[in-house]
Amino acid sequence: MRNYVIRRILQIIPVLLGVSILIFAVMKLIPGDVISGALGVEGSPELRQALTVKYGLDKPYHVQYINWILGVLHGDFGDSLRTSEPIFPEMMRRFSVTAELTILGALISWIIAIPLGILAATHRNKGIDRFVRVFALMGVSIPSFALSILVILFLALVFSYFSPLGYVSFFENPVKNLQIMILPSFVLGITIAGSIMRMTRSSMLEVLQQDFIKTVRAKGASERITIFKHALRNAFIPIITLIGMQIGSLLGGAVIIEQIFSLPGLGQMTLTGINQRDYPVVQGCVLFIAFIYILVNLITDLLYAYIDPRISYN
Amino acid sequence: MKKCLILFLSLVLVCFACSALADNILRWGFESDPTGFDPHTNPEDMSIRVMNQLYETLVATNPDMTYYGRLAESWENPDEVTYVFHLRQNVKFHSGRPMTAADVVYSFERILGRTEAGDIGALGSKSTYYGDIDTVEAVDDYTVKFVLKNVNAAFLGNLSSNYGAIVDKDVIAANGDLMRADGGTGPFMLKDWVRDNNVSLVKFADYWEADRVRLDGITYYVIGDESARLAALRTGEIDISTMSASNVPIAEKDANLKVLSYQSNQYIALGCNMSTPALQDKRVRQAITYATDREALINIVFSGQAMACSIVPPSLGHWSVPLDELDVYHTDVEKAKAMMEEAGYSKTNRLSLKVAAGLLDAIRQSAVVLQQQLAEIYIDLDIVNLEQGEYVDTWYKMATPEAGFDMMVVQDGAGTDPNRSVAFFFKTGASANVFGYSNERVDELCDLALSTPDPDIREGYYNEAQKICIDDCVKTGIACMTMYYVTSANLDGFAPTAADASNYRDMYFVK
Repeated sequence: MRNYVIRRILQIIPVLLGVSILIFAVMKLIPGDVISGALGVEGSPELRQALTVKYGLDKPYHVQYINWILGVLHGDFGDSLRTSEPIFPEMMRRFSVTAELTILGALISWIIAIPLGILAATHRNKGIDRFVRVFALMGVSIPSFALSILVILFLALVFSYFSPLGYVSFFENPVKNLQIMILPSFVLGITIAGSIMRMTRSSMLEVLQQDFIKTVRAKGASERITIFKHALRNAFIPIITLIGMQIGSLLGGAVIIEQIFSLPGLGQMTLTGINQRDYPVVQGCVLFIAFIYILVNLITDLLYAYIDPRISYN
Repeated sequence: MKKCLILFLSLVLVCFACSALADNILRWGFESDPTGFDPHTNPEDMSIRVMNQLYETLVATNPDMTYYGRLAESWENPDEVTYVFHLRQNVKFHSGRPMTAADVVYSFERILGRTEAGDIGALGSKSTYYGDIDTVEAVDDYTVKFVLKNVNAAFLGNLSSNYGAIVDKDVIAANGDLMRADGGTGPFMLKDWVRDNNVSLVKFADYWEADRVRLDGITYYVIGDESARLAALRTGEIDISTMSASNVPIAEKDANLKVLSYQSNQYIALGCNMSTPALQDKRVRQAITYATDREALINIVFSGQAMACSIVPPSLGHWSVPLDELDVYHTDVEKAKAMMEEAGYSKTNRLSLKVAAGLLDAIRQSAVVLQQQLAEIYIDLDIVNLEQGEYVDTWYKMATPEAGFDMMVVQDGAGTDPNRSVAFFFKTGASANVFGYSNERVDELCDLALSTPDPDIREGYYNEAQKICIDDCVKTGIACMTMYYVTSANLDGFAPTAADASNYRDMYFVK
């Protein structure tokens, strides 16, 4: 187990190195640069030259890359070219917003999806199952931007309600923070609940048809014990995989929801960085997101062993 | 005793509630996050709406494009290249330090790269702004003398640009630059900036015109989505925001909101890449202009809320030559067809052109309407919508085949002085002359006009230059937009104009 974890953690290094080279190359390949973005119509060749030197963009690409990656290795992600703010502290501030949104959204989706998914499986082809199937289909099909705007307009027009403006962190003002976070978390929860619900239902159905469930029932176990102790635990592996993947990608920022609900999250930071061609910001964010994704995947893999003791990593 | 205490506590609570209701903070809904607040280096729109409250310039623009003193109380021209400004004596920086002539000198030396910091990439360092300032010196504590290298009739206009803001040297010394700091003299001070969320300003108590400012502060909230901004206006979460024409009718129906509009100096135009051989033929360019039906386009793209315009929009007043006097702007599809036929095109031999669009809805939609209108004169437009960064990059290359496009639909700002609307966009080699236009007579007229202080003679020069540029049709003006602000009904004292759309110092809430 310990060797496995160490090996997996060591694997992160070449992956991140590859990601860093890829994102650096992509940022240089896409048309447009930070200077055009910053100056717009006010640019002139002399001004552009002055800024190129100021930002160090006159150096050869490999020198730029090495300078950047050496900084990253020392924990220095550099400064934003547009705002000259240090990137790492800002990234951590943004990550806390995104992490909160992810956790709340995931909790909401589990509360909705897992019980309903189990109910649908145990009451196959009954009313509740049909409801769950339609609900899941809607959750999967409605784009989050449409749902976000619908929720905002509905609350504004019917209840004259708009969630408070001006982000505050949970530790500064928990009440206001939750007021701000509840709508985006709800929308996020609904949009990811659909797939979890479907996965729970199909996975449960599959397990419930297996022989050992018959054995459990034959030995006279109650339905509750059969479902929760025996079936659910076995049905959980694919659900965990799905949840792990969802959380991994959500921690990279639910860009659209963050944008519509004006949350200063990691997704917004990356998007703004891309639009402004703020190279170090995008590079830093993508690298960090890749790191988080790999880490979540590792945790998911370790959870398998916990849920199904037959899986071992020795 | 207990009762007394309860009574007292409830009174305190009531007082708190009252003060919360009475707070005079203007809440603004922004489209995107500002990028920073250094007035000398940042031209971004949202940032300008903030910087205009923090910083001030020596002179400012009246709605009719004349000038009045802001930090300067008065000025005189002993000769054509010398300007002497007498500064107000009661102006303080937000640090509390009085502003003197030395600060004005420092600000312009910073812009021109003459301080220890060297070239900071200041926007005003170019000759189109302050590049031809020879010397700036403090005559005494409250008198500054500017000497120019040559006569520049647009000098006062340039001084009113926020690129010429007067800044606090000490704040720059402490922070390196002003992107996140506040070294201004304006009516409001920077209090806090939460990236991608909000910027808050508070009233500056020692402002030289403090009696005039009735708001206690301004908070800008970033609400990227326009529907969400409109919802926030309707529920009273924000007091003011810009709005596109399509959402204005909804706002007009709401009794709690009011709509303010002004004719802007922003216009949509179609530019020709002069390195494309087919477009080097003046007949083709003129045919495109003749075939453009501006009224039809305005009805579709702007719901009728825009004005047909040339390259100097009507918001520039007398500087703009009326469209009636411009032959090529009279839509005539038959004439356009004949010109195209003369140039060798026909139903079977059509001209295909690749057009770059993108960036803004108005640009994208205008391109589609133009595609339909030009199809009638044997031209097939192939529209490609570019993403923001790529669009700006392509814009810079539009005089070369490297751009990969034959034409581009653009939205340009004509400024408040014809030196910008004509010379900045059409003089050979000028920085915004991206389509590669070059005409000796236009260059000559631009130089003449700049060195002529007499406004009437200047107008004659610009009119002639304008007519030549328009007749050459390298860039065809199409529509000049009406801009909208939606505000809560009880907000008063705001009258946006093309010259000054972000002056919030007179705003107040009607009780």
